[in-house]
Amino acid sequence: MLDKDNCLQKTDEELVALTLKNQDFFSCLVERYEPKLMRYVMRISAATREDAEDLLQDIFVKVYRNLNDFDQSLKFSSWIYRIAHNQVVSNWRKTKSRPQVLKFEADEDFLKFIASEGDLTRDTERKFTSEEVRKMLDNLDDKYKEVLVLKFLEEKNYQEISDILEKPLGTVATLINRAKKQFAKVVEEREIKF
Amino acid sequence: MNKLCDKVLCKIREEKIEPKPRWQFLLKDYFVWSAFVSAVVVGGLAFCVAFSLTVDNDWDIYKYLKISPVQHFLISLPYVWLILIILFLGLAFYNYKHTKGGYRRGTFVILGLSVVGSVILGSIFHSLGMGRKIDKIFARNLPLYQKIHCCCNRKGIWSQPEKGLLGGRILKVKEENEFDMEDFSGIVWQIEKNNQTFMRGPVLIIENEEVKLIGEKKAEKIFWAREIRPWSGWESEE
Repeated sequence: MLDKDNCLQKTDEELVALTLKNQDFFSCLVERYEPKLMRYVMRISAATREDAEDLLQDIFVKVYRNLNDFDQSLKFSSWIYRIAHNQVVSNWRKTKSRPQVLKFEADEDFLKFIASEGDLTRDTERKFTSEEVRKMLDNLDDKYKEVLVLKFLEEKNYQEISDILEKPLGTVATLINRAKKQFAKVVEEREIKF
Repeated sequence: MNKLCDKVLCKIREEKIEPKPRWQFLLKDYFVWSAFVSAVVVGGLAFCVAFSLTVDNDWDIYKYLKISPVQHFLISLPYVWLILIILFLGLAFYNYKHTKGGYRRGTFVILGLSVVGSVILGSIFHSLGMGRKIDKIFARNLPLYQKIHCCCNRKGIWSQPEKGLLGGRILKVKEENEFDMEDFSGIVWQIEKNNQTFMRGPVLIIENEEVKLIGEKKAEKIFWAREIRPWSGWESEE
């Protein structure tokens, strides 16, 4: 059995190399990424916890199968998020239904975070409830929701988002800008309505 | 270990799942890169033929054909090769996008690189005379090609003696200002010329040389040549 401390001291890249020699080390990677990927999968797939677990199992098996394809020029976290993203998309295609609702956690923080980025032209006068934020996000295009999740909830930088979504940096920047503008517009409309 | 971790490792063990060998990924990478390079090279060849056909085209004969310069330009464009250039640029783009780091570059950068690559390669191929050779091979082996591709080599254009355009192969040089020439339909013409006849390009009045003539039909099977040009694109024929 592996000592848990042994896992903690290793970097992702070291664990990949060790897993290729000894399968048991894969448990370190699974334990390290399970909570992050669970959150991410639920955020972008609107899956139930059970469905997300099944999806996550497939994701980790795929990661294991493709360990030799891990590109050392990327961060391991970007690579594993990419696999997760692709698996969710592939799952959408299989079931032929894209999620209608994205679930966001820490919604108020999220709103503040976007507002602090300066693209909301004015500070929001009132606080929105989580449910309101969720409804506002529902009004965004899927491509915008995806980048907002990665940028503001998963706290990935532009390069990481580019590597995860396999889009050029410029496209990522454009998507984030447009997403923020669209979100700001939705927030403004909401404020007028209330 | 938690529940999911157990399930994942259990599945891996039970189904005896192994990481795919590295060579499989490398092979795929090499294949995609080779496909990209091949598309750029073929695009370069298509560019080279299109360029050769454009350079060799007789842009000044529209007046004999009694059409406007724009019409002549439009019918003279090497459409087959332009379509092939676009097709292979598309393939190059598709393959590059499927390389490992292909997503990092934007559409215009990749297309720009593919165009530049094809133009550079095409220019090198053109300087080696490959454009004319490829055109010749296609014309010889694909009857449809000669009919659909528009350019100076189109035999139909040079089979209009009434309009002053005649092309063919020299059969016999009789004297300094007279030779026999067989046109593309097999008719033997007596060609007359004089000291004022303009020799455009590296043309030789020798047997078996293929030439294009601009002049006037004087009588049945007698043609006076005001200008003689080499049958560009065929001049390097062995």
